[in-house]
Formats: sequence, C-alpha cells, structure tokens
Amino acid sequence: MARLSKNDVLKLARLARLELNVTEVDEYIAELNEILEYVEQLQGVETLDLKPTNQVTGLTNVMRADEPIDYGYLPAELLKNVPQVLNDQIQVKRMVE
Amino acid sequence: MSHKYRPTIGIECHVQLKTKTKLFSGANNDARNAEPNTLVNHIDFGLPGALPVFNREALKLAVRAALALKSEPELFSTFDRKHYFYPDLPMGYQITQYDQPIISGGQVSFKLDGQVKTVGITRAHLESDAGKSTHPEGSANSLVDLNRAGTPLLEIVSEPEMHTAAEARAYTEELYLLMRYANVTEGDLYHGNMRFDVNVSLSLTDELGVRSETKNLNSFRAVEKAITYEIKRQSELLDAGKAIIQETRGWNEAKQKTVSQRTKENADDYRYMPDPDLPPLVLDQVYIEKIRAEMPNLPDFWRKELGALQLDEDQIQLLLEANIDYEAVGYMALIKAFLSKVDLAKTLVNWLVNIEIPLMRSSEASVKLISSARNQLYSDVMRLSKSGQLSSTGAKELITKLLTEPELPGDITRFAEQANLLQQSDQNELETIVKRVLDANLNAVKDIQKGETKAIGFLIGQVMSQSAGRANPELTRQIIEQLLK
Repeated sequence: MARLSKNDVLKLARLARLELNVTEVDEYIAELNEILEYVEQLQGVETLDLKPTNQVTGLTNVMRADEPIDYGYLPAELLKNVPQVLNDQIQVKRMVE
Repeated sequence: MSHKYRPTIGIECHVQLKTKTKLFSGANNDARNAEPNTLVNHIDFGLPGALPVFNREALKLAVRAALALKSEPELFSTFDRKHYFYPDLPMGYQITQYDQPIISGGQVSFKLDGQVKTVGITRAHLESDAGKSTHPEGSANSLVDLNRAGTPLLEIVSEPEMHTAAEARAYTEELYLLMRYANVTEGDLYHGNMRFDVNVSLSLTDELGVRSETKNLNSFRAVEKAITYEIKRQSELLDAGKAIIQETRGWNEAKQKTVSQRTKENADDYRYMPDPDLPPLVLDQVYIEKIRAEMPNLPDFWRKELGALQLDEDQIQLLLEANIDYEAVGYMALIKAFLSKVDLAKTLVNWLVNIEIPLMRSSEASVKLISSARNQLYSDVMRLSKSGQLSSTGAKELITKLLTEPELPGDITRFAEQANLLQQSDQNELETIVKRVLDANLNAVKDIQKGETKAIGFLIGQVMSQSAGRANPELTRQIIEQLLK
C-alpha cells in the first residue's frame, strides 16, 4: 500500500509552488493518503490485455488547416486577465539573477 | 587539457517548423517583427476552457523530417502534458509527446576529416514552444511576451554517440542542412529557429559519467565552443577528485564559458499525463507515400551529383548552404547543367565559390542579374577565357560586372572590350609594344642573350604595365622569345 511521507508532500508542494504550514502538511498527508487508498482499488483490476485509455472519445486526427483564425479576442482584452502589464508585456517577478 | 577521459556527447535540437500558424491555435507563427502579445489568443494564453486543435501542416513537416532522418514516421502517436511552473508557460504545462512520439529512430551521416560518421537519432517529437521572457537591466521584474507561445517545434534527440566537439558541430551542421533541404524549417538561426541543447559527460570506462546539459545554443560555433569548454571544465573537476553535478547550464557568449542554471528536475517531476484535449495521430501508408513522393532533393543527392568533380568538403558545404540560402538562383542546378564537361564544371565551381557566392554574402542587393541568365553568363565567360581573350583577373571583373546588371548585354565580347577587360592578343599591336620595351631595356636583352632567362619575366612585366595590364602574358612571352632568337 502506497503511503505518502512528509517528504513526498513537501516535494509536491514545492512542485505546485504551494507554501504549507506545519498543520497543513499533516492535514495533507492524511487527506492525500485517503485519496490514494481510494484510487488504489484500481490495483485490483486485471489490466494484462488492456491498452492504456488515453482518450474516451474514440476520435483520431482532429486537425485544422494551417490558416490564420480570427477568434475575435483583442490582445488588450486578453491582457486584462494578467495581474501586471508593462508596455503590453506580462510583468512577473524576476526569473533570473 | 587532460585527454584521459572519453567525452560522450548527445544533442537535442529544437527545430521551429515552417508553418503559417501555431501548433494548436490559428495565431500567426512569425513573431520576428511583431509587437509583444499581438499574435495571441485564448489558446496561447491558456485561458480555462480553451480547446487546442492540431495544425495539419505540422504533421506533414514532421513526416518530411522523419524521411530526411532516414526514418519512418510512427503510424500512431499521442500528445502529453509536461507540467512545470514558469512564467513563460501560461498553461502550467507544455503540450509535447512523451512515450509515443511521431518519430522513433533514424540517423544522420556526415563526413568529418574524410571519414563518414553516422549518429543515431533516438526520437523526435512535436511540441509547442514557450513564450519569450526578457529581463530589463536593473529591474526587479521580468517581462513575458506570448507571441512565441505555441509555436510548433520538432525536438530531435540524438543518441549519445559523439565524442568530440568537432563531431558535434558537424552533426548540427548536417542536421541544419537536412531540415532546410527537406523544407521543414526556415532555419533562421539568428532568430532561434534551431536551438541546440548539448549533453556532455566524461568517463574513464565504458560506463557513461554524470552529464551536464548546456541549453539553448543557437549557432554551430557556440555548440563547438560550449562542448570544448565543458570537456575542459569536467576534466579539471575529475582530475581534482571532485564530482560532476547533473545540472543545466547556459552558454555565456561574452565570457566564453558555460554557467550553472539550476539542478535538473527528474522526469517524474514533470508529471506527464496524456492530454485529453488532443486525440491521437493515426497515419496511413498512402499519406506517407504521398509525402515521400514530394520530398525535395536532400544534401546527399547533390553530393552524389557533384561526385565526379572531386571537390573538397568545404567547397561542397559552401555550395550546399548557398544553394539553399539563394534558392531562386539554384546553384546546384546551374552546376548540374555543366556536368557533362568536368573541366568546365570545375571552372564554374571555382568562380561560384570565389566570386559569385562571396559577392552574394557581402552584398546580395548588388547582384541584380536574373537567375535564368546565369548559364549564359558563365558559358560566355568560359569561352572568352578559353580563347585567351580574358585573364583570370579579367574573368573575375567581368563576372562581377555582369552580375550587377539586371540583364546580359547583347554582345558580351564587345561589353568586355568596352570595359577594358580583354587581353591584348593582337599579334601586331603586341609586337609594337614588345619592341618598344626591348629598345628601352637593352641590359635585360643582353642578359637573356647570355642565357639568363629570368629577365624574360621582367620584360613581360614591362609589357604588362605598358599595356595597362591587358597584354596576354603567354603571347607576350612567345613574341619576346621570337624577337630575341
């Protein structure tokens, strides 16, 4: 049975860029393990002759022609969703030293 | 530098595909001259609910790439999400192909120091590019432009089968030619159309050592230099008994060294999962055969065509690059038209390599001659050279002059004559000049009569200068010898 350790949860938090306090870490260890246990029921399914299910639609080759499409969104409207804009660029915390 | 360690090099190359629109959205794909965040839409911005739809042209280009890499495209391939958080990746994941890529296997062969070297291709997969970030000097912030977000890339991964910086460079140069000849990419290196990540490790044994990955090199020279630097850096660490850290590095062009960027996350950290928005690609043989039938000629085709000329590798490389850079001229086709006479074709190659192509490289705009007139131009100049009317310097000047005119003159001999480029080959006129020179240089004449033939060269020089460089030197020699007999 898979058990998430404290280190696993801290690593997940780091990957998800989440800051957790001590209480939250303990809460998540418990909750995530419960979820894992639930999902673990799948381990009981016989999958020897089954191909992985990536898709449930049965579709293949959904493609479009290589032609510009006007979706009707103006750049200015899209940039409204951005917390900080400078000179039409998205301003973020400095990424490099 | 220590030579006891054996370097092993593998290269990942991101090739920007030559499509009009992005991989999963209908936004314009050419971000070179666009204002920031103007070639974007809800898909590129990763807004919730946006549905990516695959670009048919990208598939065609990937199939062409497969064939150019001496491989076959996979009949079944899928898209996956590669998760990581970075400000230039608005969706929080990159759409890529993980375990079922469009290309598995392949090879790239090239000649290095006369030896044929073949490097295996592990795989190549389709993926979308991230946005572009800039870091203004002195600011606490970075700026992100999403024009490039979603641009189609084909990432080509080589086997770790190279062992010197020179091999790696030759591999990247050949890969570049292949991708351009197969018409997969514009190949604009300056704008990052092909970017190389080089993995370098050193080992004393057959077991590979710990590698570093130097990312985002955008020139062949940078590939060679970064690898040379890494081999030296790692050798020194190992000599000092220190361990190599597996890490990502960047190339600092100003300092000519690689610098550490961050320790590399493990593959599981990307939490790959199948992308439920994108159904798999299923190819059939009819589709592949149609693309195979339309494949343009690849570099090896031309190398074979030119084989009889026995050119050196540098000349062939130069011609192959010029042929694709100036497609409208079509240098290979031009040479091919002369191939039935090897000596003429060699003369042509000599002129192209030393006169026309350097002129194109230094001032393409000054070359105005229509492409279709090239054959006539070179045939005429060859005729004038062969008949002795044109010296090699004269031929160079004439070719340069003719290339800068939009059309060829009606009578090329007259044109050359008026431009004062023809050699003085008229026996009588030349004799007059020679006699004048002999009279003025009696000492030299005596020397020759005493058997000091060196003085003939001096006299020919005098005749050349009297005729303003237009005397045919061979004919001049004959006349001098005759007159002094």
